[in-house]
Amino acid sequence: MLKSGSNRATVLLTVWLLTLIGSGCVATGSNGFFGRTQPPARNVLRYVSGPEPETLDPQLSDGQPEARIQMALFEGLVEYGPKDQQPIPALAKRWDISPNMDEFLFHLRDNAKWSDGTLITAQDFVYSLRRGFAPETISRTAGLGYFVKYSEAYKSGLAFVKKDGKFLLANDADAVDPRRSQRVGPETEFNTFIRSPERLTVEGDEAKRAKQLAADPKLAEAVNGAEFVPVTAEDIGVEAIDDRTLRITLRQSAPFFLGLFAHQFFRLVPKHVVEKYGKNWTRPENIVTNGPFKVKEYRPYDALILEKDPNYWDSANVALDGIEFFPVEELSTMMNLYKSGDIDAMQNHAIPTSWIDEIKQYKDEYLNFPEMSTAYYAFNVTKPPFNDIRLRRAFQAGLDREALSSFRKVTQPLYDMSPTGVFPEYDKARQKVSEAKRNEKNASEAEWSRYGKFDLELAHKLLAEAGYPVTKTAAGYECPNFPTEKVSILFNTGANNRSIAEFVQSQWKQNLGITIPLKTMEFKTFLVQFKSLDYDGIAQLLWSGDYMDPYSFLNLEYGKTNEGGSGFYDPKFDKMMDDANLELDPQKRYETLALAEFYLMEQVPVVPLTVNSTSWIKKPYIKGMYPNPGTLIPWKFVYIERDRAKWDREVVNIMTTPDPKVEKQLSELTSEQKATR
Amino acid sequence: MLRFILRRLLIIIPMALLVVTLTWGLIRLAPGNFYSGEKKLPAAVEAAIRKKYGLDEPWYKQYGMMMANVVRGDFGDSLKYPGQSVNEIIRRHLPYSATIGILAYFLALFVGMLAGTYAALKQNSVFDFGPMALAMLGLSIPNFVIAPVLVILFAFWLYVFPPARWGGASSLVLPVVTLAAVYAAYIARLTRAGMLEVLRSDFVRTARAKGLDDRTVLFRHAFRGGILPVVSFTGPALAALLAGTVVVEKVFALPGLGDIFIKAVLNRDEPLVLGIVAFLSILIMVFNLIVDVSYGFLDPRIRYE
Amino acid sequence: MADSYEKVAGQSLWGDAWKRLKRNKLAVASMCFLGILIVAVLVGPSIIYWTTGFTYDLTPAEKEMVRSFPPSLQHPMGTDDQGRDMLARVLQGGRISLMVGIISTFVSLIVGVSYGAIAGYLGGKIDNVMMRIVDVIYAIPYILIVIVLLSVFGGPNTPHWIQWLSTTVGGAGNQGLSQLFLLFFALGLVSWLTMARVVRGQILSLKNQEFVMAARATGVGTFGIVFRHLIPNALGPVVVYATLTVPSVMLTEAFLSFLGLGVQAPYASWGSLADIGIKNLAIFPWQLVFPGVTMALTLFSLNFLGDGIRDALDPQTRKF
Repeated sequence: MLKSGSNRATVLLTVWLLTLIGSGCVATGSNGFFGRTQPPARNVLRYVSGPEPETLDPQLSDGQPEARIQMALFEGLVEYGPKDQQPIPALAKRWDISPNMDEFLFHLRDNAKWSDGTLITAQDFVYSLRRGFAPETISRTAGLGYFVKYSEAYKSGLAFVKKDGKFLLANDADAVDPRRSQRVGPETEFNTFIRSPERLTVEGDEAKRAKQLAADPKLAEAVNGAEFVPVTAEDIGVEAIDDRTLRITLRQSAPFFLGLFAHQFFRLVPKHVVEKYGKNWTRPENIVTNGPFKVKEYRPYDALILEKDPNYWDSANVALDGIEFFPVEELSTMMNLYKSGDIDAMQNHAIPTSWIDEIKQYKDEYLNFPEMSTAYYAFNVTKPPFNDIRLRRAFQAGLDREALSSFRKVTQPLYDMSPTGVFPEYDKARQKVSEAKRNEKNASEAEWSRYGKFDLELAHKLLAEAGYPVTKTAAGYECPNFPTEKVSILFNTGANNRSIAEFVQSQWKQNLGITIPLKTMEFKTFLVQFKSLDYDGIAQLLWSGDYMDPYSFLNLEYGKTNEGGSGFYDPKFDKMMDDANLELDPQKRYETLALAEFYLMEQVPVVPLTVNSTSWIKKPYIKGMYPNPGTLIPWKFVYIERDRAKWDREVVNIMTTPDPKVEKQLSELTSEQKATR
Repeated sequence: MLRFILRRLLIIIPMALLVVTLTWGLIRLAPGNFYSGEKKLPAAVEAAIRKKYGLDEPWYKQYGMMMANVVRGDFGDSLKYPGQSVNEIIRRHLPYSATIGILAYFLALFVGMLAGTYAALKQNSVFDFGPMALAMLGLSIPNFVIAPVLVILFAFWLYVFPPARWGGASSLVLPVVTLAAVYAAYIARLTRAGMLEVLRSDFVRTARAKGLDDRTVLFRHAFRGGILPVVSFTGPALAALLAGTVVVEKVFALPGLGDIFIKAVLNRDEPLVLGIVAFLSILIMVFNLIVDVSYGFLDPRIRYE
Repeated sequence: MADSYEKVAGQSLWGDAWKRLKRNKLAVASMCFLGILIVAVLVGPSIIYWTTGFTYDLTPAEKEMVRSFPPSLQHPMGTDDQGRDMLARVLQGGRISLMVGIISTFVSLIVGVSYGAIAGYLGGKIDNVMMRIVDVIYAIPYILIVIVLLSVFGGPNTPHWIQWLSTTVGGAGNQGLSQLFLLFFALGLVSWLTMARVVRGQILSLKNQEFVMAARATGVGTFGIVFRHLIPNALGPVVVYATLTVPSVMLTEAFLSFLGLGVQAPYASWGSLADIGIKNLAIFPWQLVFPGVTMALTLFSLNFLGDGIRDALDPQTRKF
């Protein structure tokens, strides 16, 4: 009885297999491209931006995957440039900056509308910023905007101090700084207030204030008998001069701040919708946007489908009819979808390490460019043994980072805190500082090329000085004194961390004779140990910059409670950083920063490992999409090229190869701003 | 029997609440919280978060608030995905996992029981070792290996199924097969063992002696007792399948509950974790009840007092 | 009288079983394979080290050698991404995977079988309470338990006795091994749950049979009935289920490595080797094939051995 059944099954199976093989033969090959390469039937880009976005609200999210989606949906004053990520005009058609770079005057477009047809005015920006800085708004990125005057005070619920009818000042010296008076734009009542010397602020909450004053008798005396006026939304440095003119005032000069206005935190949210629907305003049925695209359909964890917004002011220049964002996290799944032609492009560092050798052959698709992010190993400088700078130097000198980056295949070795190759002007300043230091130390070119890099002799010498002599054995080196049980390399379970750690471990084992145990942890557990400086010895951090300036990286070691994870604090370094920010000439500022960075690297709070690479692929028919340092893509430049002759073919460097369409679009967009300069 | 079922059904609610309580305690013990991230949160923002979610209150108050909501069946909003309620997330993503899970379950049952029975009937022959070796293969190859191999075979060599993502019947084939492979192997092994046991028991011998043909003996008598071990395995298995399986959902980028759940734990998204755990525990207990009840039907020797 | 009866029965049961097992060719072959494997895993790494100098964590000093090479005379299983000898890694991984498998199966046999048998035999309220406890443990998210375990026992807060144990057993500086004890604990915690359920089901159907009643009539106590009469009769499914536990535990271990609780790099296990191997399948197939085949063969033999034991324990089996 079972026999006849199995016979039937065998026949069915055979037929099925034959069908499979038959249909397999019909499938087409690839002609020099990776996988199926056929432009999609519809004029729609299919893109993987990483995991499911936390929210569509630009001010509440902080990740890169969200940023990319929000760039399609919401526009701000400026937008990231497609290639260099430098600010280009968006809702602001042009702008003026005050001479000491602490005030911005934006001239808005007349024809900018929300997706529901409502006109966009300067008041919308005032509302958005006040919303972002409101104490009840849980915005993870609000800290980036703290340069906006009194925004931190407002967010933190602080209060001004009024004594004898006058507000106390934060800093008496501030009052006499002559540069403070140079405003941009017309004089208004608000501007006079916001540009007046910074007022003193104390805790607004009575209980907290009592605590604050108890801890600071001098302050308590100064505010004794004073009246406390809470800092309100109206006090922060943003002003709508008229419907089309917006002015933003910072508390100090910040030359890099213009670029920050493209960050999702500074993108516009619709007042009329947010106030109507509250937390539900981003639901697909309620959401109103102002970017080149609007939400058509949203299936969480499956697809976010956008369509071109005809109400967008520049919709004539939006090439795509829509974008489909697919949330995918597994790198190999991303690659599979790309290979089968189901997606056209993807997020950054998407290529699994083992695929790289194969993918590298597809030069027209593979985008390997330096990224605005670094990977480093932080030393816990608050605990022995790495509170000893000699040891930190020894471990730095004992690691061959050339070898590490060639092992990682896509990255470049890094010897500084901020990545190289991302800020071209800063790289020049760094070069100059390095040259000056070489002359200062009277070092030869050859010596200098090894300075701060792989240097075995130095490493052994320093170890011996610190009390851990290294001896040579038949198999390599040995360092019997070193307390390996007191240290470990801590890293989280993220993608390549394990192989980096294994590589570094074996390097130190070979070069120094010290085997440091490895320790993996799930991300949140890792964070607790890392942030509380509870870890032993060494921990890994991957940091991506928030804005296009080396300050975003150097800031990691600035101040007493910094985010660098080393527990490093050096007033001298902080002073150098402050000096740099007072410098108004961009080139001089960079040089001052480079000097600070050089000093920092001599203290070795961390061993920088690599400059990461963008490392993603796009189909050759997708044009106008570039691997900029943050892989933040302004979507309106992207188009699908159906003429095979115009596909990316044998492109040497996509960044320097001009695309007439993109160049034209870009020059039209920036012409008005350029004319004012 | 009815009273037994009723009693067991009633106890499910307090049990689920116990599970929720224990889970809540574990989340609180786990290091980190939902808002901790690589980048430092401004102090004011952290304070606002703590206030909003009542994290400043003493723990028993927080527990009380949580339980009060849970008893009402309201788990609140996800912490990681603000603006999405937990109930909504479960309702939205359960159908995806359930579709894949149920399909895989029946595929596994069908293939597994067929192979297991066949192997038991032909014990120690090629027809025994063949299917059993295959079953062992299914068991010893992890599904994170099976899935990519299937993708290479069927998506890239044969171009018959899409390599990932939800969409149409053809996209379900590879995930369902991947998921079913392990369970089919389990079921085949358990069926074979159970059947061997039963085929040698007295009542089967009696049935054969009465002159009944193989088919009748097999399906009327032996089968019911033989699949007993399978039944106690498949109860919890079905519950687990319904709630989604992480690996398959990850590899095939499917919007199922399993992956969402793991991420919720890793993100310390407390309401979402509690919601899914409560749902899952009820599911498991209901299926276990069904298993226990079906024992009585399958094997008359089992009685519940 | 009951005592002497049991003694005789016990001896003949095991002695008989052994005789029958020896006649099963497949089971014997499996036993041989497992024996060889265990020896290889125990002494193999040292032999490789003495003859060639390779170890599971030895990365070559030359930059060009730090990449994956296909199998050769020098490296019979090739090398991994870091240029480490795969054979040494597979053998070292075998130590951990086998240990994980054996310990979890042991726990599931001891705890799961007795728990399930007692619940099933006693029945009623006790059964109900015991099985509901299993339900609750089963329903609590496993990975949450693991994360909490890791934070309580991992890192600088690890209790001294675990640290002592790991440095004594693993040797000084082998912090990676202290995690292993946590791993065994975490796996043991859940590996017995389904076993308890399976056994209980079996016992429920056995306990009303004549031989149990007979034993009860002759005055055998609860303990005696459960452990001398019921469990031996339920051994078939138990052995089969035990062999099923091994692969699932080995895979759970791979999943736990992902959470940071499994083996710590540079140690490896078969699960973690397969996990890396599958990612490199298209380019370096040997990274998956060798650990995969070793693991599959091991599980195969375990399984055939399990079947053999099951058949051998079954007095009704007729061998020809």
